[in-house]
Amino acid sequence: MKFKLSGKSIQAVVLGTLGILSFFIIWQLTCIFTKFGTIFPTPPEVAAGMIRGFIEPIGSVTLLGHIGISLGRVLVGYTLSSVLGTLVGLLMGASRLGKAILYPIFNIIKPIPGIAWIPIAIMWLGIGNATIYFIIFVGGFSQMVMNVMSGASNVDQELVGVARVLGLKKNHVFLTIILPSCVPYIFTGLQVSLSTSWMAVLAAEMITATSGCGWLILAGMQSGIMLNNVLGMIAIGFIGLVLATLMRMLERRLCSWKERN
Amino acid sequence: MEGKKLNGNESVVRLENLKKSFEINGEDVQIINGINLDIKKNEFIVLFGAGQCGKTTLLKMIAGLEDITDGNIYINDKKSSGFNEDVGMVYQTTALFPWLSVMGNVEFGPKHRGAAKSERRKKAQYYIDLVGLSGFEKHFPVQLSGGMQQRVGIARAYANDPEIILMDEPFGHLDAQTRYLMEEDVEKIWAREKRTVIFVTNNIEEALYLADRIIILTECPATVMKEYVIDLPRPRSMVSEEFLRLREEISRLADARESEAG
Ligand SMILES: Nc1ncnc2c1ncn2[C@@H]1O[C@H](COP(=O)(O)OP(=O)(O)OP(=O)(O)O)[C@@H](O)[C@H]1O
Ligand SMILES: [Mg+2]
Repeated sequence: MKFKLSGKSIQAVVLGTLGILSFFIIWQLTCIFTKFGTIFPTPPEVAAGMIRGFIEPIGSVTLLGHIGISLGRVLVGYTLSSVLGTLVGLLMGASRLGKAILYPIFNIIKPIPGIAWIPIAIMWLGIGNATIYFIIFVGGFSQMVMNVMSGASNVDQELVGVARVLGLKKNHVFLTIILPSCVPYIFTGLQVSLSTSWMAVLAAEMITATSGCGWLILAGMQSGIMLNNVLGMIAIGFIGLVLATLMRMLERRLCSWKERN
Repeated sequence: MEGKKLNGNESVVRLENLKKSFEINGEDVQIINGINLDIKKNEFIVLFGAGQCGKTTLLKMIAGLEDITDGNIYINDKKSSGFNEDVGMVYQTTALFPWLSVMGNVEFGPKHRGAAKSERRKKAQYYIDLVGLSGFEKHFPVQLSGGMQQRVGIARAYANDPEIILMDEPFGHLDAQTRYLMEEDVEKIWAREKRTVIFVTNNIEEALYLADRIIILTECPATVMKEYVIDLPRPRSMVSEEFLRLREEISRLADARESEAG
């Protein structure tokens, strides 16, 4: 392992820090010298608000509580869409009959974005968590299906033959060859659908919830407390980044056979 | 297993007027046109053919990967149809399972034929060592060079204990130096393990270095053009007088074959 920074990466760190610093400075100066400051908090106010947010509740729970609530909702919807999407994708990719039946209907549903389902979902499921799970589910589901399906239909047929020559029984081909070939595609699906799920939960919470990060940013605007809005946005960006990073780490572990090192 | 290896003269693979055609753009195109061949136990047979003359197709038919259009294949005097546990294959494209480690690839056959874990590990390790990959058991195929990948392919075929091993231009993509080393190793392994080998190549030196018998195939549609029994002592010198003479003769034959095909 090498931890030494090369000249190029030092330069990148310095320039990056400079960029972030100037962003905060411009924000601060704008607040001081324009009317923007009367409605919008300055960076130190945001920092203080963030610390306070972790201690005192905003609405029903603290900032951490809102993050936890949103993540919990994502977890439910995302797990559902991942599992179901993988199964349907495998079915459509590996079975000709499955594709013939499901692909047309899927193609009609696929272009409808998750948020467009909100009114129907509210009518069916009422205001509350069930609707939020559903919105997250529809967003992730099509992406999961698309990726897994392309994985399952791109299985190297020569490898199936190789395995059969080596004595693999026909009814073991699916678990032994097709499924492992699909793992990288499943991961791409999981990655893409995770960021969609995170966006979907925010949209759903803005409309049908009284807690969570999505509610926080909307409530901040509606009540005129812009600080809460900014806190919510920072939390959203941060969580999105953490989720994507975790996903990439997991992928690197499970799909190491695709990488050259 | 001991009994099988004693007798050196029985026929292990017999091809009887074997034919193959493919439907290409709605037309039947004949690729193989009546091949007759009788292969003895533990023989090292080299099929020497031009490019695109149906060599891979022929091996795939023996392995059960392609249907037989006409004629018969007998393996140990039994008419063969489909996969056969006495046949193993090393592929032109290496065709390793990319998500399995070297160990996972080599133990694949025994594992799916029901061998217990300790037994198949032992066997796989034996062949991994034999092909010179000790220490690479946990590597994935992408982490290996082309030559090493092909060694895995060879170990994988042997570890399944087939009586007959088909090798489809296994060194076609390797540089000359690696290729030479691999040829030496294949011969050593064969001398030690025996088995009946059917080896496809379009490299004359490789054919002469390895073969007990060289079968020269015609251009497409392929038939047997000529056959050479090579009884030079092993390991062979590539510069002995007899070696050079045979090389000259076969290369003249190959040239004639090419000009005939036009
Ligand atoms: N499944 C198939 N369907 C249609 N045509 C095929 C099929 N497999 C092979 N062919 C054709 O049969 C011919 C012989 O192919 P084959 O791969 O057996 O030749 P080869 O001698 O192994 O070639 P190479 O020297 O490139 O390894 C080629 O023209 C090929 O296009
Ligand atoms: Mg070939």
